[in-house]
Amino acid sequence: MIRSVLLSTMVLQMKQSFARPMFRFSLIANPILNTILLYEMFRHSQQDNFVSYVVLGAGLMAIWSCICFSSAGDIQRERYSGTLALIYAAPAGFPAIITGKILGNTLLSLSSLLISLATAVAVYHTPVVVIRPGYFFLAPVALVGSFMVISTVLAALLTLSRRTSLYMNCIEIPFILLCGFAFPIQVLPAWLHPISLALSPTWAVDLLRMAVNGVEDASLFFQKLLILMLLSVGYALFSGWLYRYMDRQVRMTANLEVC
Amino acid sequence: MEAIIQVENLRRDYITHRGFLHRNKEVVSAVRDISFYVQPGEVFGLLGQNGAGKTTTIKMLTTLLAPTGGTCKVLGFNTFGEEKYIRPRINFIFGGEMGVYRRLSARDNLRYFANLYGLKPREREQRIQDILELVELRDAADRLAETYSKGMVQRLQIARGLINNPDILFMDEPTVGLDPLGAHMLRDIIRTLHREGKTVLLTTHYLPEAEELCNRMVILNQGRIVAQGTPADIKGEAATLEEAYISLVQEVKP
Repeated sequence: MIRSVLLSTMVLQMKQSFARPMFRFSLIANPILNTILLYEMFRHSQQDNFVSYVVLGAGLMAIWSCICFSSAGDIQRERYSGTLALIYAAPAGFPAIITGKILGNTLLSLSSLLISLATAVAVYHTPVVVIRPGYFFLAPVALVGSFMVISTVLAALLTLSRRTSLYMNCIEIPFILLCGFAFPIQVLPAWLHPISLALSPTWAVDLLRMAVNGVEDASLFFQKLLILMLLSVGYALFSGWLYRYMDRQVRMTANLEVC
Repeated sequence: MEAIIQVENLRRDYITHRGFLHRNKEVVSAVRDISFYVQPGEVFGLLGQNGAGKTTTIKMLTTLLAPTGGTCKVLGFNTFGEEKYIRPRINFIFGGEMGVYRRLSARDNLRYFANLYGLKPREREQRIQDILELVELRDAADRLAETYSKGMVQRLQIARGLINNPDILFMDEPTVGLDPLGAHMLRDIIRTLHREGKTVLLTTHYLPEAEELCNRMVILNQGRIVAQGTPADIKGEAATLEEAYISLVQEVKP
């Protein structure tokens, strides 16, 4: 049953998301505009790997926007269309349904990376070099996992409140800065580093960059992958607890629907 | 026969906080110590004015809301804490145009909800076909729900509510906004469910409908039960159920 719930929710989510103009803008136009913006910033930065900061940065920013405006916005849309109560009370279980939604959004948003890459090649004719393709194919898997676990935690938190739109707007840019999507987290003030390191996408982005720039120290790559996996397990355990808490709280505070 | 729904001294308060520096707690009692039971196979009505506590009661019965106090059991299980035993065997329909995915077709909506209720693919397709015929949406089954009229959306809601062949169907003002033909169809569906031995609990403002369909009913006013029994019991000496209802509701002052 879980497999069919995950699959059908994932397909439903992809259909619903793609039907929305705002999602299509975030998915298609956003990575193109981000690529142009970052390229213009990158030109005078003396950085020598174009893929690392322009293509990945633009793609990651677009993925995160899609996740924010879809995964987070979906809770609110479901609430306002009266379907949140229906999926919440379905025997399949709310966590399985939310996981299917997040899976659908995350996989669909990955195309932003390709759009960003295509824009970079088409507009600037800059050669795209991936030094270690083996690592480069492993890193996106880690990226999907990291986005999924953090989205699961966010979805549970956003179900608890009716101020979803406010929160999703508040988290978009800070996450882009804290996770080092567009520039290294080392440029942030030192007191922000612990927060950055506690966010799972930070590690996934680091792995992606290492794969693009060339993995000189394989043990360091796998060490970071292990940290990411441990963090993801921590997030998964936390979201499990959070869903149990949310399940009681949302019915006590009557936040499932619009009053 | 053991009751399929048992409600004893059920209470639900809504708490709101106002103010920024000096937080004031405001408690509104939507349901105040109500008790009733429903037997298997009954069509049971919850009647009352807006704000009487009908929807709050139905939400507690459908596991969507936690009671503040009292007992709320469906199929012998507590609706808060034992909901996993209840949810596969019930379904609910809330009136109006909400509760469907408007960017999906009726068939896709029903397929999705069938999956959430764990129907196997073959059983699912047959069930969808049967229900679409029952609500007369077969010819429009593959059109997006956003192209439907209000009545068609409500019929799709009814179809969704029947997808898991529930033992108990909860309906919150299901005929609101339906045209006469749609309302007639819904009443026919309720009668069919009754003949099949299903239990239906419905709320309505439309008293002739309640009188026609319900075996028993309770009348709520300001969160309290002011009368319960068969439509004939409640009507008593009054000429119509509506007359009896108005005098019962007006007796209770705020």
